[in-house]
Amino acid sequence: MLRHLFKLIWNKKGAHSLLIIEIWASFMVLFGVLSLIAFNLNNYLEPIGFEYKDVWVLDLSTNQDTVNLPEKSLRIMQRIRSYPEVISASRTSANTPFSANQMSNSSTYNKVSVSHDFYVTDEDFSKTLDLPLRKGRWYEESDISARFIPIVINKKMEDKLFANENPLGKLIKENDTLSYKIVGVVDKYKAKGEFMTDNPALFKMLKKEDWDRNVLIKVKPGTDANFEARLVKDIAAMTDQWGIEVSYLSESRKNRQNLTVIPVVIFLVICGFLLTNVALGLFGILNLNIAKRKNEIGLRRAMGATEGNVTTQFLGEIWVLATFSLIIGLIFAVQFPLMHVFDLNSEIYITAILASITVIYIIVTLCAWLPSRQASLIHPALALHED
Amino acid sequence: MIRLQNVEKVYRTSAIETLALNNINLNVKKGEFVSIMGPSGCGKSTLLNIMGLLDEPSRGHIEIDGSKVDKYHDKNLAQLRNKKLGFIFQSFHLINDLSVIDNVEIPLLYRSSSARQRRELAQEALEKVGLSNRMKHFPKQLSGGQKQRVAIARAIVGKPEIILADEPTGNLDSAMGNEILSILQKLNEDGATIVMVTHDDAMARRTHRLIRLFDGTQVL
Ligand SMILES: Nc1ncnc2c1ncn2[C@@H]1O[C@H](COP(=O)(O)OP(=O)(O)OP(=O)(O)O)[C@@H](O)[C@H]1O
Ligand SMILES: [Mg+2]
Repeated sequence: MLRHLFKLIWNKKGAHSLLIIEIWASFMVLFGVLSLIAFNLNNYLEPIGFEYKDVWVLDLSTNQDTVNLPEKSLRIMQRIRSYPEVISASRTSANTPFSANQMSNSSTYNKVSVSHDFYVTDEDFSKTLDLPLRKGRWYEESDISARFIPIVINKKMEDKLFANENPLGKLIKENDTLSYKIVGVVDKYKAKGEFMTDNPALFKMLKKEDWDRNVLIKVKPGTDANFEARLVKDIAAMTDQWGIEVSYLSESRKNRQNLTVIPVVIFLVICGFLLTNVALGLFGILNLNIAKRKNEIGLRRAMGATEGNVTTQFLGEIWVLATFSLIIGLIFAVQFPLMHVFDLNSEIYITAILASITVIYIIVTLCAWLPSRQASLIHPALALHED
Repeated sequence: MIRLQNVEKVYRTSAIETLALNNINLNVKKGEFVSIMGPSGCGKSTLLNIMGLLDEPSRGHIEIDGSKVDKYHDKNLAQLRNKKLGFIFQSFHLINDLSVIDNVEIPLLYRSSSARQRRELAQEALEKVGLSNRMKHFPKQLSGGQKQRVAIARAIVGKPEIILADEPTGNLDSAMGNEILSILQKLNEDGATIVMVTHDDAMARRTHRLIRLFDGTQVL
């Protein structure tokens, strides 16, 4: 029977080419959207690695003031840490969690080079963000030496540079003059939030005498805007015309998530419209097709086909057609995992391919079910009626 | 072989009720070649469809080869049509997208058989109608007479005991028609029971028995 169906489809491939193209195009679009979703979902399922609750970001812009910044910042930090509402505070580079800022570089160990994000933070960073260490410890002021800067790396970076070696105490190079010494390894730090890929990351020590504009502040649960106002007022009093802004990590996290979720939702809606269109078109074509093939249905019934045989035949035909289209689609789709397009994990593409295939078969089956069922209910004598 | 008892067929449409068959009693014996004649619209096709289990009578009973089919459901009817009956139609009803041999194989798809068996039986059937040299052709490449011979091959490929033909020569010129009738006669000699609707007296005369219908009633 399958051979018979193949012949039927093959012999009218011309008439079916539009349908094949339509199913193929749906598959490709679906594959794209589902790859995107699989990619994001895959990221989402991995923890971000730190605690953002009750953490505020203080953004200090010094405006025209250039005098004695390190010393001022030291005083400000002392003031912040002195509030009973504050659990911990840490100075950090502008690429604070969930912000749009990004800093990257590449470092080398044993001739292996890895590009990575990097963050410049002080010694209270891991405490402020509850960033646990899997090996070693977070750096301290006492780690500073003339020959290198103490750093902490994440597990991803460790895996790339150190196969079986213990990374602690090892020196890695940013360039010929600058070396870093690894004092600790954290598990994950997905600064851009849930939807970020767990990239290699490196934290380097922000020294007391260095200036950077952002401060992360972990406050006690329940600390409210009253304290925020007091904090801003106090710091303003200590400085001359500085701009002071406070934001909450839990809010920037939501904004950041929307940046990923909203495009995905838009793609999904577009894809849904497209598929609905294809489905309706398919439904129409199949209905027409069956009306045109009434004689054939009557004939097959006269030759001994049961109602079930007729239903399966029409369903089978659309499955054969879908299979043709999917094979063509697969030729394109498998290039993505094979050639590591966008440097994504092959599993993401394979998941997307399997999911797309399933969705396509479900759609064509839904579209074909009713017309096929109706075809089987056509009375044989009526179908054979000579016109 | 085919027995009809008090068969009545009423077609109901929203406007009118047509009594297409009125109390038909018929007995076609094994090996008989029967022709049915009558004016257009008198119910010949309806009668043939009921004999071929393509249509149900409004009243009355049908027996095929000794078994009453009144209570048969779709599956049993389909099986009976497949095993016992072969149909030939005026307009051939070949599937244009299938080659001659694939068309002939169709009845065998609805019973258990291997691809090789199907091919062999189809070749055999095409030889009987003298078309073994046209197996790979498509219906569009055939003349009317050739198409009807393909249809006959398809009707006999499953070796049914009964062949039902509804004006098999209706669309053909007389030479072609005679050829078709000779094939049917040969099949009858080989043991097939045949019921044929025709408008042609000459054709009818070449069969064993003639049944005449008039307005749904058997008059001869
Ligand atoms: N599906 C149907 N619905 C309603 N009436 C029908 C239907 N099929 C047939 N009829 C009516 O039943 C009567 C018999 O029709 P049938 O087709 O059996 O005639 P026929 O003898 O085969 O005619 P012809 O020689 O033209 O083929 C006709 O009056 C026809 O209009
Ligand atoms: Mg008729």
